[in-house]
Amino acid sequence: MKKILIIEDEKIIRNELKSLLENSGYEVLIIEKFDNVKENIKNMKFDLILMDINLPNKNGEILLKEIRKESNVPIIMVTSRVGEVDEVLSISYGADDYITKPYNPTILLLRIQNIFKRMDNNMDDLFYDNISVNPQKGILKQGEKVLELTKNEMIIFTYLLSNRGRIVTRDDLMTDLWNNNEFINDNALTVNISRLRNKLQNFGLENRIETRKGQGYKLL
Amino acid sequence: MSFKKYLLDKTVQITVSIVGFIIAILMLNAFKVENDLKIALTILFFLVATFNVIFDYFRKYKFYKKILNALDKLDKKYLILEILNKPNFYDGEIFYQILYDINKSMIENVKEYNLSITDFKEYVEMWIHEVKIPVASLTLLIHNNRNMFDKRYIEQIKKLDNYINQILYFVRSENAEKDYLIKEIELQKIIKDVALKNKDDLLENKVNLEVDVHNEKVLTDSKWLEFVLNQIINNSIKYKKNNNEPIIKISVKDEKDKVYLTIWDNGIGIPKNDIKRVFDKSFTGENGRIMAKSTGMGLYIVKKLCDKLGHKIIIESEIHKYTKITIIFYKNDFYKVD
Repeated sequence: MKKILIIEDEKIIRNELKSLLENSGYEVLIIEKFDNVKENIKNMKFDLILMDINLPNKNGEILLKEIRKESNVPIIMVTSRVGEVDEVLSISYGADDYITKPYNPTILLLRIQNIFKRMDNNMDDLFYDNISVNPQKGILKQGEKVLELTKNEMIIFTYLLSNRGRIVTRDDLMTDLWNNNEFINDNALTVNISRLRNKLQNFGLENRIETRKGQGYKLL
Repeated sequence: MSFKKYLLDKTVQITVSIVGFIIAILMLNAFKVENDLKIALTILFFLVATFNVIFDYFRKYKFYKKILNALDKLDKKYLILEILNKPNFYDGEIFYQILYDINKSMIENVKEYNLSITDFKEYVEMWIHEVKIPVASLTLLIHNNRNMFDKRYIEQIKKLDNYINQILYFVRSENAEKDYLIKEIELQKIIKDVALKNKDDLLENKVNLEVDVHNEKVLTDSKWLEFVLNQIINNSIKYKKNNNEPIIKISVKDEKDKVYLTIWDNGIGIPKNDIKRVFDKSFTGENGRIMAKSTGMGLYIVKKLCDKLGHKIIIESEIHKYTKITIIFYKNDFYKVD
């Protein structure tokens, strides 16, 4: 399980962020004292840092610079300051991504996912049981059997896959589609899901996408 | 400075001198002085008098002519003292000193005013930063408790965030300071961010968003442009027509030295009489009155931001049919820094 460290001094945001990430299957570490962050986190083990720019005692950008001297761990900067300058500065100090508050929680999760994907270098090799999934080519492959999916179907399938076993809301799927420049409407989403279901069924994967009424979908 | 008016101004002195001279001649007559001496004295008197008048006239003429010329050419007229030499006649010196004192007091006044504006701007920026924290907390709280809260809550928070940003960019656009950063950015990314921001609103209103944008790049500040597009999209949603399927089309035309970004909607359009004034401050027009929720600030800020960034913005519309906004980005290698 991936571990994420949250460096955020606002208690409510910290706690809510923690439950958001935990609900999405991450392990979360937090710190509550900010007088010597660099020393505090020295002995912790984590795969990614979510860091606020405005911290007590020390500016997040300076902290970012210090951490970068010693570690290559991915860092996402989060801030309520709206400005190109802050963003450029953060990126030049070595941040991997930059998000302004208030952010769409689903988008934050997608950005985190992207960073992990890039890290693990598995943009092409995803697996669903013994079926290999290639989002770039838009195909599922089981031995010699190949299933072709459209771009939208593939986006839906990979999102369900990376949240396998958890309930995914229609809104989450919609967010991911729009995040991939597919600005479809509600009807189109319904159509896409039922097409995906049919295709999977013909491929021998029957009833794999479960509908939870009023909640969303779940990939078994 | 006209010589005629100058002479007219000197009427009293000249009259007194001539009367004095006549009295002097009369007195010379009384003492039975030789005529030759009277003629010589007359000539001498007129020579001296003429010299005095002309000398004084030219000295002042030179000084005032310079001021008037300079004033005419100066864009910022209060800088006049910077290019003026101190005059070499007494009343000129007084005048110069007065100008100097007035100028100094004005500069101090403006400086004070500037400082208070800067203070205010800093306070607004800080306040916005503070107020975004509870807004962010609320967003997360609602997301984590989705079974208790539905989309309506998120929608209200989004509105709140929009109004907060409007103030932020109003302050930034009014300020002389340069707090933007021009970079080469992909239009598609900004459009995607704006679309995602308005996703719920667009879906709720059943708006079809058609985006025909690929990998076109422009030179701009991405945050500022995001605000601009967000305002335009918000307007398109707000002023949609109720009796047909609302459509918003975003497209790009990439030319040799310009990029055109067009946002077209099939909404209620803008009346002909109003279209020239939609970018004016606080202008609400007929549509604003119908909707009763317009502040008339959105497009004003949009125009100001575009002006500052060096983009051209054009609005075309036909009532009951469409509104089309085009933003023109100029390609200029000068901006390409990194």
